[in-house]
Amino acid sequence: MAMFTKEEIFKAISTVVDPEVGFNLVEMGLIYDASSDDEGNVKVTMTLSTRACPLHQMILQWVKEAIEKLPNVKEIDVEVVWEPAWNISMADDNVKKALGA
Amino acid sequence: MFKISQDFAPPFKLIAPFFILGSFFYLFSSLSLFSFSVDDFSFADPKVIAFTHLFLLGFVMMIIFGAMAQLVPVVLEVGHFGVELFYAIWPLLLIGTLLMVFGFLYSSALLPYGGVVVLTSMMIFVGEIFLTIAKVKKLTLVMSSVLISNTFLFFGIIFGLLMALSYAGTISVDISSLLKAHIFSVLGGYISITIMGLSIVLIPMFTLSHSFSLRPLEISISLMSVTVVLAILASLFHLEWLSIICYILAIVAMVIYAYLIYIIYKIRPRKENDIYAISLMFSYSSLLVSIVVALLYFVVQKENYLLASMWLLFFGFFGFLITGHIYKIIPFLVWFERFSPLVGKQKIPMLVDMIPQKSSQAQFIFCALGVSLVTIAILFKSNILIGAGASFLVMGALAFIRSVLYMINFKN
Repeated sequence: MAMFTKEEIFKAISTVVDPEVGFNLVEMGLIYDASSDDEGNVKVTMTLSTRACPLHQMILQWVKEAIEKLPNVKEIDVEVVWEPAWNISMADDNVKKALGA
Repeated sequence: MFKISQDFAPPFKLIAPFFILGSFFYLFSSLSLFSFSVDDFSFADPKVIAFTHLFLLGFVMMIIFGAMAQLVPVVLEVGHFGVELFYAIWPLLLIGTLLMVFGFLYSSALLPYGGVVVLTSMMIFVGEIFLTIAKVKKLTLVMSSVLISNTFLFFGIIFGLLMALSYAGTISVDISSLLKAHIFSVLGGYISITIMGLSIVLIPMFTLSHSFSLRPLEISISLMSVTVVLAILASLFHLEWLSIICYILAIVAMVIYAYLIYIIYKIRPRKENDIYAISLMFSYSSLLVSIVVALLYFVVQKENYLLASMWLLFFGFFGFLITGHIYKIIPFLVWFERFSPLVGKQKIPMLVDMIPQKSSQAQFIFCALGVSLVTIAILFKSNILIGAGASFLVMGALAFIRSVLYMINFKN
């Protein structure tokens, strides 16, 4: 039995905002998956909008710190993947509308 | 806890002098236009040569070098070899630029000193970049462009120094055989290839464009590289026919690059026309008009067409590309240093909140008017329009300085 649902983890990560575009990572579609086991270990699979993101490591830390606010969380593993590559179709409609996409 | 790497964001105090000095050199370059008269306007005019070095060394190179302190690790995906070396680069570049400009205007005896100081500054820069590249295991196309452009810069400054020494009478070399080699190495080899490589990282990053082919970039960088090598040979061996082929090849390379930028622009999801977007639109429009005017020069064979083309390339293309990116780079660096530690602890500004709307808009409008008026002035040989254009540019440059200082001193 997982200690946290995918939705609970996504909600925690949604407090992390990309300072360049002004949207949170979840609504940008940058968080691909999240899961936890019954001991409170959390695994997040995510991407970034560009490989050359200068905030790469800092964003990973923000994600980890956001998840640490969940009760009784233990180990947090944040994996960055580049496949599938992010594109605007992965973002929420409100993001697309605000950007004019 | 994750360890935060500072490699990707050097201390802002290291980079700030480059941007502050660069913005003041933009103002000095604009002010120097008041000294021009269309009657003696030519590439051989010392005032034109002094202006060229004031703008290219003081503004373009100063800001590119500062920006590279932050962008090189982002592009190369490794930390700097010795980022502290940048503390030595800007004072040397500042002193060398001033000596060269005064040398061209008042006393050629200053040129060797200015040339050596500029050479020292650039050798430190090139050496640091080469040693940083040596840490990269596998070079991508963009990483290769950094290597190629800096190799051309190395040769470009050697040619420049030889010319400066000869200009002052210290040594005797045929300046005319080095002139085109110097111009092509620096303008085509360093500045253009640097712009090609870095813009393909930065513009999609800011516009969120994806899924475009890099083939046009590969072609344009390869073509420009071959062109610069041929142009150096044409210059050293006085092969005028080869020089003409090189002009055409350089134009083709820039057109292919501009086509790729158009594709990126067309597919961009982020459609807001902020100061960055409109600056880039004006910049690339200037590049295209510059190319058209250069082609007209081949038809009419009047030097003022070539001067107008170069003017558009410098103040239109390079100028707006740089000022546009300043509105992205400075807020990021200031935000990273001042506000990123506060993420999750208190309300902090977004990057867009750190851009002064009024002065940035004023800078864009005044500078766009100034560049356009001076272009017309050069083409139609009007001193009144040069004065009018220079007036607008000075107003724009003051607004630019205000914007830079506002962003650097931004507090929540």
